[in-house]
Amino acid sequence: MVNEIVSILKARFPDSLLDIPSEGRSIVVTVKKEDFYPLLSQLKESGFDHFSDVSVVDYPDEQRFEMVYHLWSHQKKIRAIVKVAIPRESPAVKSVIDLWTGAQVHERENHELFGIGFEGNPNLSELFLEDWEEIPPFRKDFDTRKYVKEKYYREEEGYPIVKG
Amino acid sequence: MEEREISFATLPFGPQHPASSHFHALVKVEGEGVLELEPHPGYLHRGFEKLMEYRTHPQNCVLVDRICVLDPFANELGYVNAVEKLGNLEVPERGRYIRLIMTEFGRIQSHITWIGIMGMALGFDSICRIAWGDREKIIRLNEMATGGRLYPCYFCLGGTRRDISPEFVKLAFETLNYLEEQLDFYDRVFFNNESFITRTKGVGKLTAKEAIELGATGPNLRACGIDYDVRKDEPYEVYPKVNFRAITRVEGDAYARSLCRRDEIAESISIVRQLLRDLPEGPFNTEVNPLYAAPKGECYFCVEAARGELCFHMVSDGSPFPYRVKVRGPSFSHSLVEFPRLAKGAMIADIPVIYWSLDPCPADMDR
Amino acid sequence: MVLDQLRRVFEPFALLKNLFKKPMTLQFPYEVLPELGGYRGRHMLDLEKCAGCFICAMVCPNKAIFPVEFQGRKYPRVDLGKCCFCQLCEEYCPQNAIKLTSYAMLVTTDKESAVITPEELGKMPGH
Repeated sequence: MVNEIVSILKARFPDSLLDIPSEGRSIVVTVKKEDFYPLLSQLKESGFDHFSDVSVVDYPDEQRFEMVYHLWSHQKKIRAIVKVAIPRESPAVKSVIDLWTGAQVHERENHELFGIGFEGNPNLSELFLEDWEEIPPFRKDFDTRKYVKEKYYREEEGYPIVKG
Repeated sequence: MEEREISFATLPFGPQHPASSHFHALVKVEGEGVLELEPHPGYLHRGFEKLMEYRTHPQNCVLVDRICVLDPFANELGYVNAVEKLGNLEVPERGRYIRLIMTEFGRIQSHITWIGIMGMALGFDSICRIAWGDREKIIRLNEMATGGRLYPCYFCLGGTRRDISPEFVKLAFETLNYLEEQLDFYDRVFFNNESFITRTKGVGKLTAKEAIELGATGPNLRACGIDYDVRKDEPYEVYPKVNFRAITRVEGDAYARSLCRRDEIAESISIVRQLLRDLPEGPFNTEVNPLYAAPKGECYFCVEAARGELCFHMVSDGSPFPYRVKVRGPSFSHSLVEFPRLAKGAMIADIPVIYWSLDPCPADMDR
Repeated sequence: MVLDQLRRVFEPFALLKNLFKKPMTLQFPYEVLPELGGYRGRHMLDLEKCAGCFICAMVCPNKAIFPVEFQGRKYPRVDLGKCCFCQLCEEYCPQNAIKLTSYAMLVTTDKESAVITPEELGKMPGH
């Protein structure tokens, strides 16, 4: 079952990197940005109907974001992981809500915390943070401790004490 | 025929409300029917994933309980297993058995808490006092084994931090016998109660196709007929050696979801009996360097929590601090996608019933 | 069918037997549950054994331990407002000097008294 899906993907997307970890129940695919949406539609047709999560990893040294999509097939009991690299200056990617409706909130959360644009998502308003004026907080160049010290603590005898 | 002017009011199903907890939603109603429901999460957002990047693995293991307080052992199990999978660490058999015993007790305790809160949402206050009194017996077991009542801080890389004693095993068997009698009592008083059946049958109905499309997991999905249980489909620890089944029902309404959780309590009691019977002797953990640096790579590990599928995506770059940890909480899809969809077209009095039959935990929605 | 419905209406009255049972509530703090041993409560420090290495301060996840001067040496000071009672400081202390007792009556209305100085850490809590 894993081999059928691997052969379909290899035939249709010859220059994507495929990797099968040793347990034999999951597939890891690394694709380029152009092939990313056709590959996900192909996976949805092959039976991957449960959208588990989309997570974003920030690599500031290599100037890219890596988006990792986690999918699961209820009938075949196989997990698929799809990795896409997008540039860090103007990050934008096509939304997948036409394939999986439940992905809308996950994309909204990643837009707020990392600043990634999802084209086609109707509602990208704020979810957790209110009146946030700094850069998206989960990026690597945002220093959480410095922000908290300036806003909430005052220094006294070298030991931070809460303001007020 | 005269023209009627349609006007609607906006009510808050707010954070200060007898039937909601740490969750805010704005409900647009016309008369008694709900037109639209808009959730506003964020009351418990602590930025867990960013804060975990500043701490080493042993420090993270004691703080990760706080992601979902009502079922703390599942969070620790997920984090610890994700790091061990990355580094191929050895865990002795006794450590694995102890981990699963505590996790299943945590699942029973979470479902008993749910019985109490569901009763309160329906207006049946007495069942909450009785159920939380029974939950106290499991929390005493927590205190005996781990030293803490609600925040156990018990699992570590390579096993568990303390051993369990023969007094614990004896008290565990007594608690299991007591809980089986109490399940009978709950059946007569709560689950076969005419008011409960009338208020929950046919309310909040989810079809199987809708449930998969909206990303439901856990008892909410199994009540629609699809048997997806991470303990059976991607087994971890010593679940392959234990005999149990995944509970499914067909109807998909609030009544089916409630009965799924009641049957899971009975199933978990049988799992704990088998584990306590087969508990091996030997060491309970292996020594791991406190500044343990997982090798470079990434890993995705899923655990079956009481509410659904809880997953950890861990990326490591060879240093003692994790590079990125992403937590997928089971209540994220339930509160933000399914609750608005099911509440549309319902009556105002059905809103707490639908909300609590989905069993959300705002802490693991916001993280 | 009707008999079933009648049974479902009247059977929950079995709850009334709870009226005649002893309640589960305890009048805390006058009645407390018996101690089981091993509970994680307030810290206690053995002033002779402490070497001043501050591995406890390095390993604390919330930075609740801070070095201060006392009797001519440096000793740890614990801020209970930040402490999460995880017992990592006891696990990693090389001299077994800092330990967690089972004393848990730590409620106070005064923020200054939540910071425990080394002098108080040296004595048994509750005195």
